[in-house]
Amino acid sequence: MSLLAPWFLFVALAITLPLWLHRLQTQSAVRRPFSSTMLLESTEKQVHVKKKLKYRVLLSMRVAMLLLLALILAKPIWTKTAPAFSESAATHVVLIDTSASMLRAGVFDRAVEAARNAIDSIPNGSLIQVVNADSRIHVAGELSADKAVHRSALATIEAGATRLDFGEAMGAIDTFAENLPPPVILHFVSDFQDSGMPIRFADLAATNIAELITHRVAVDARFNWRVEYARATAAVVDIGVIGSGEIAGRASVGAILNNRLVEQRDLVETGRSVHRFSGLQLEPGDNRLTVSIAAADDLAIDNEWYQVIEDTPPAPIPLITANRGRRAAMYLETALQADPRSNYRIEFMPVSETDFRTLSRYRWAVIDDLGSIGSELEAVIVSFIENGGNLLAFAGQGRAAAEQLPVSRHRVRATAVSANENEFLTIGQIDTGHPVLSDIEGWHSVNITRNIAVDVEDGDQVLIRLENATPFLIERRLGRGRILLLTSGLDNEWNDLPIRPVFVSFVVESARYLSGVGDTTKSFTTGDALPLSLIGGASGQVVDPQGNTVLSLVDTTREQQIRLEQPGFYEVYTPQGDYLVAVNTDPRESQAETVADETLGRWAATMGGQVERNGGPVAAREPAVRELWHALLFILALLVIGESIVGNINLKPHTEH
Amino acid sequence: MSVMQASQATARELLRPEVLARIKNLDLVARSVVEGFLIGLHRSPTFGFSQEFAEYRAYTEGDDPRFIDWNVFARTERTYIKRFLGDTNSHLMILVDASGSMGFGGPPVSKLRYAQFLAASLAFLAARQHDAVGCMIFDEQVRDYRAPSTRAGRLQSVLHCIDSAEARTGTKFDKPFAKFREHITRRGLVAVISDFYCDTENLLAGVRPLAWQGQDVVLFQVLDDQELDPDIGSNVLFEDLETGHAVEVAPAFLRETYPGRIRAHIDSLAKAAAGIGADHVLVRTSESLDQALRNYLLFRQRRK
Repeated sequence: MSLLAPWFLFVALAITLPLWLHRLQTQSAVRRPFSSTMLLESTEKQVHVKKKLKYRVLLSMRVAMLLLLALILAKPIWTKTAPAFSESAATHVVLIDTSASMLRAGVFDRAVEAARNAIDSIPNGSLIQVVNADSRIHVAGELSADKAVHRSALATIEAGATRLDFGEAMGAIDTFAENLPPPVILHFVSDFQDSGMPIRFADLAATNIAELITHRVAVDARFNWRVEYARATAAVVDIGVIGSGEIAGRASVGAILNNRLVEQRDLVETGRSVHRFSGLQLEPGDNRLTVSIAAADDLAIDNEWYQVIEDTPPAPIPLITANRGRRAAMYLETALQADPRSNYRIEFMPVSETDFRTLSRYRWAVIDDLGSIGSELEAVIVSFIENGGNLLAFAGQGRAAAEQLPVSRHRVRATAVSANENEFLTIGQIDTGHPVLSDIEGWHSVNITRNIAVDVEDGDQVLIRLENATPFLIERRLGRGRILLLTSGLDNEWNDLPIRPVFVSFVVESARYLSGVGDTTKSFTTGDALPLSLIGGASGQVVDPQGNTVLSLVDTTREQQIRLEQPGFYEVYTPQGDYLVAVNTDPRESQAETVADETLGRWAATMGGQVERNGGPVAAREPAVRELWHALLFILALLVIGESIVGNINLKPHTEH
Repeated sequence: MSVMQASQATARELLRPEVLARIKNLDLVARSVVEGFLIGLHRSPTFGFSQEFAEYRAYTEGDDPRFIDWNVFARTERTYIKRFLGDTNSHLMILVDASGSMGFGGPPVSKLRYAQFLAASLAFLAARQHDAVGCMIFDEQVRDYRAPSTRAGRLQSVLHCIDSAEARTGTKFDKPFAKFREHITRRGLVAVISDFYCDTENLLAGVRPLAWQGQDVVLFQVLDDQELDPDIGSNVLFEDLETGHAVEVAPAFLRETYPGRIRAHIDSLAKAAAGIGADHVLVRTSESLDQALRNYLLFRQRRK
């Protein structure tokens, strides 16, 4: 049968003809557009009912005739195939949901019981594999036909604190099933939380799973408290609490700062409520705020919330300068201190006193005039950058006539003069995709009289060019660090940048970029990954909420990230300092709504089992094929006779009239 | 009549939809509405714009020069602007439904035009309070989008985006809202302006994840008087503006049954909104805009 046969399509289209003709005859009232008819109800006059009913019979007969004709032209066939495989020859994967929602009272015990029953129901001799899934798939035990082994493996599985996304789980289990002897039947034991469904239903499809059997674990959602958020300012914290269901027993919420109880209050009503606790006495650095609800509710894991409150002193920035009294230093210091969002403190570092040991304590540094440094200091700064430090550098007058700029090692093309004193150059092109320049406007008001024209090399990123295409701001990577080089001075003699409003924004955004502010978030959800690059690679260490070190020596060289699987505070130790990371359970795990049975049925229908055995396709059973057009033609003939009779009866009064 | 009373009367006149309908420039409409609304607010005990001083910030290009503290400039020769507690605020995203059903209504204005007035006024009001403002026009999918920003020129871009919306096709909340969630990264206020002729579950499927994401959502339901209280003398074949489906309706049905149905639909929407922590505001296109703006300010004040 082909539904794309031209004759089928043509006749199928012809069905609209009687529909249109009958519509003309039945609708007679005044038409008026209306926003929506979803709340309206057709109220036709009684006198029309009989006439319309007769016409509808006629209409349906005509439509059926055309439909049959179209079907005949599509050459339909009827096939009957036997079941593709038998359950006893299949591999059975028993998957247990171990996400945080399974920690509800009694739910996980019921899940283990359901998994045990599923194993018992599998035909003897079939291969079985037990796995559990939260944010990842974990294999429990070996692939074998021994049911006793798998029953004992169930006892070792525990529910965790992370989230299960059914789409991701099906993707992982589909890949896992590739290496199992086909066909694979999946027994999915879960509470089937609605919040675990993926955005795209298609993500649930699995090509290597022949059949999905769902085992829904009953959830008796009575009542539950959960901490929704904690937002802290200097001395005040607002805590959002959500309660659902009927309250049973007494409950209270408390805020604990650095292991000291700030305040505790009773929770009286369910629903959403906000509690403000004041009088936080922060200590310098990262503070641990734990919000805890004391209540005997359904799900205990969402009764805690962890938050890191920072009370960091101003970050020191070394300003390497030959002369503290110069205007360039003053402009930089003023600009950095002008932005209230930034928390920086300038530390002047005379050129003569700068050494590698001092410099390596900082994340980044500023040089107000590259020309003022000697070869010894140049080696120190290059070493600093190659080891991960960053540098904001201005090409001042000191080395205007040299052939090469120190540190950045750009070759000087021209002798510093790009325009004479009476002519200004302005900005030509700006790379607004760069983080430093994405939110800054006003560059075109800057006038430049002189700059050092340098040759750009491979790997350089020219962020700003002058109108004559000369590079004005260049980023160059050097080892593990980077340099932002401005090819003009900072003393208001070669250009008027320091006195333009854009200068403050430029310096502040550069500071944010080079210091890595925003790179390190301190709030995570269980199951998230902490990149090892943020903790200094092999030099760092992480301690989990239980006080155990997370990274072994092997991990520091092999792993790229750490999975944060426990709620609580992780302590991160890096060469640039220590900080805390707060990890909370995903709030979606607290949702009690479950997936509808109909949706589970549609999910099961998406399984596209590739029925193969021992590497080769199963001997396909020849399906019985029977053509149907003979029968359809007979029905069509009957319909033609019926239509003639009904049409004659219905239209008789009109013809007589 | 005193001068104050006269100016308030003129301001109230400017909030009336039939007056606004004569102004073609949406920027001017928004400006007129908000200024008029604020004059009317002058004697209100509930609201006010006398904001509490918070801090100084260095002047950067794009800031309004009116906020420069010239006394500080005289002393230090540096330009700083004053910031107030109300300034350091949130993002406002305005989501305007431009489906076919929004083209219904009038005179003086269709529901879509009224929604544009409301959206523009909210955007202007938010920009005036230094909130980052963005907008999204949607029907069955996202038709236009402006990310929230406080940059100079963003308000004009948002107003242009709102002004260019035209009513067509059907409404779906899940797909466009899913797209919207992919773009939004920060918590803030989300104002959805629509007639909400849809299944409540479909609406919740779109809005509930926003609430989970921590967004504070307010639903402005814009309806025409003819939808709330239709008036016909004989049988009329009502044609759905979105689906084209036609239903023949008798006057008796509209008189006796329909009011209960529309009321039940509005109530179910309000209940569903309350269930996910969102606000629901019913707005009639015959009413002036001040009540809707007042509701927005109340909402914003509660969520701070």
